[in-house]
Amino acid sequence: MTSTYVPLESTRIATDHQRGWTKSLRAQITSGAKYAFVNADTPHELFHHMGLPIVTNQWWSAIIAAKQLSEYYFDYMETLGFHDRLARYSSLPLIAELEGDTERQPWGGLPKPSILCARQSADDHQKIFSLWSERTGAPLFLISAPAVPDPHPEWWRLARSDWETLYRSDRLDLMVAEFEALIAQLEELTGRSFDHDGFVRYMEAINEQERIFEDISEILATAPRCPIRISEQIPNVMIPQWHRGSEWALSHAKRFRAELHERVKAGVSVLEEERIRMMWIGAGLWFDTSFYSTFEESHGAVFAWSMYLPFAADGYIREIKGDSLRALAARVSAMNEQLHQPPWINSWLVEQAKKYRIDVALMLIPEHDRFSGQGSLFAKKALEEAGVRVIEVWSDMVDRRKWNRDEMSARVSAVLDAVLAEKGV
Amino acid sequence: MPHSSSLRFGEAAGTLLDRAFDARDRHRPSVPLPRIGIFGNGFPETLVAAAGGLPVHLSMGRLRRTTAIDEFIEPFVDEEVRVFLNRLMNGEFADCLGIIFARDDAPALVAYQYTSEWVRQGRAPKSVPPLFLWNLVHTATPAVMHFNALQAEKLFDFFERIGLRRPSDEAIAEAAAAEAGRRQALERLETAGLSGTTAMRWRNAGRFMSATEHADLLNAALVDTKRTAQKGMRIGLIGSSLASTASYEVFERFGTIVCDWQPWGAVWPGPGNGNATLPEILRATAADPSCPRITPTTAYRNALLQALANARCDLVLCQLAPTDDTFGWEIPALASSLERRAIAFINLGFRDTDPETWHARAATLISAKLEARK
Repeated sequence: MTSTYVPLESTRIATDHQRGWTKSLRAQITSGAKYAFVNADTPHELFHHMGLPIVTNQWWSAIIAAKQLSEYYFDYMETLGFHDRLARYSSLPLIAELEGDTERQPWGGLPKPSILCARQSADDHQKIFSLWSERTGAPLFLISAPAVPDPHPEWWRLARSDWETLYRSDRLDLMVAEFEALIAQLEELTGRSFDHDGFVRYMEAINEQERIFEDISEILATAPRCPIRISEQIPNVMIPQWHRGSEWALSHAKRFRAELHERVKAGVSVLEEERIRMMWIGAGLWFDTSFYSTFEESHGAVFAWSMYLPFAADGYIREIKGDSLRALAARVSAMNEQLHQPPWINSWLVEQAKKYRIDVALMLIPEHDRFSGQGSLFAKKALEEAGVRVIEVWSDMVDRRKWNRDEMSARVSAVLDAVLAEKGV
Repeated sequence: MPHSSSLRFGEAAGTLLDRAFDARDRHRPSVPLPRIGIFGNGFPETLVAAAGGLPVHLSMGRLRRTTAIDEFIEPFVDEEVRVFLNRLMNGEFADCLGIIFARDDAPALVAYQYTSEWVRQGRAPKSVPPLFLWNLVHTATPAVMHFNALQAEKLFDFFERIGLRRPSDEAIAEAAAAEAGRRQALERLETAGLSGTTAMRWRNAGRFMSATEHADLLNAALVDTKRTAQKGMRIGLIGSSLASTASYEVFERFGTIVCDWQPWGAVWPGPGNGNATLPEILRATAADPSCPRITPTTAYRNALLQALANARCDLVLCQLAPTDDTFGWEIPALASSLERRAIAFINLGFRDTDPETWHARAATLISAKLEARK
């Protein structure tokens, strides 16, 4: 049933690029260059545009987990007196920092950042970053996160151009004012002036990049059979996303699209006989990414969808409308909430499931990362009403201690058996 | 005056306060006013009073039966949210003209979002009143102050929509004066030499009545009540929201709770309620250091430590709801700060769902730790 899966050339190029970038960043920052340590839902664009390298908390967390270090650090976390129900994904780098043995960490650890930045989307983010700040002495810039009182369910239809209505003027005004304060701090830190005209061009480049990802999503959704594994989808999206708007990111997005297009045209797919299409809901299972191919051989089941690709378009494309900072505020002001808060997440998942012809969804519910888990059961119900079978995965993206692959495989297999029986296969 | 009728029946004021605390949001004040539900700390009740309404906190109630929404509530959602949502869908808040949720109180935001979604899906009963999200940001930049002023305008629009009056400057000043009276009465309560259990009950009784009635009942009760010598250790209570008389009584076997700095402790009513103008109310509310989302972030822990020091605590007890994901980040730093000040710190960990088990475990833990310190 499985053809010999050939990874994309784009994947190798992306991971090589990230490795090279990481090495270069490592060399820069260990020789004293400044860098920022920031959360994923902060305005990376401002840091990039000011030429200040960033390390993203969740990316670094995934790297630590992929090195199979999370178990050690989470055990250590409890010895410090932090209880075992605190968030993991956003705290793993902090715990590694507190543990202090830089030799144990990937790249030999991170030096002291010049600035820390988090958005108060989750209640614990400011606590975690505050501890970073106390530990390292780095200044902390917090971006406030007032909620959207009346979230429109089909947010992605309004978000690109009618973002003023969707996200509300008062919230955008506040966020723009906070961006201006952050810019002033970055100007002081870097000794450079913020180039507003250049920033417009940069924002346009990001929109262009995200439109390419939209094309790619369309290719994947409409291909007769899924052409690539999500374990390849994710790096080809997320690595350019960490460098969004750069020349390399744009050219990589084009390369990825072209290669995928050729692959579909040639009829190449993960499975010759694709029987079940699945979606993985939530952040990646960073310590066990090979899980995603577990059911290919046994059930002809392929994971066709992960949030990172379609969210690149819906979560990022924002018409500039003559005000690039405000457009950026529209991108950032509900970035995380759109992935976790009802009705935003339930409506979007249903839309995506239909588009990608999904049969079964695996929904990661991290019980100790409440912000990421909230709204899950609303989303589950919405998907079920749309005809998708949903399997709850009560686990964590970076903590493997409670992950039992055999048990999960058995649970998923039972559902897939039932789906195949229904389909008469 | 609404308070006079509640006292004229000759019942002891303390009994009336106890009864109001036990009845929670089912308490009926002496003079009926339009009821406005409140969920969460961080909303200045003064503004409801200035609009002619009675602010009634809805997050401390008890669950009688679950409804269909229960199956949508994940196990990590705070218990007070689960109880509120089920009660709301049972029609128990049909007598409220509206419900206000404080965005920066973590359970309140989730309660608002899940309620809104249930309403949007057309699954909520008609008895669910109009909802309002109080989006106040807890810091003091000019941009935030402007934003917070806009939120107050939106609140006043909401008041008008649900049939209350738009608060005038005079009405705000009058309501603030009543709150200032309550604040004075609460300060007397904190220094009256009562048990922490009684203080918690009498303080929180005010969440279900007007500031004036609360102040008058407190003042009358404090006249009636004899000061008792405090025994044992001076205890500070911190951690997650707790309003269990039984739990307090277990803690007070070891001394007296003299500093109650958990969300249902002496951090309510929030600062700012007694300020006479809207800008002053908003400024003080935004600067409330008991909000875990306060910026600068160090304000929260500093204020907590200061409160414990001011109360001359020699023992601090920390207890956590099973759903805690925020306070836990403070614990190691608090523990070491308290150790440096030679204040005993006992982390009781997560509360058990079975109160008896939890109380037995807590008592054993406290005894053992205190014994070990001898």
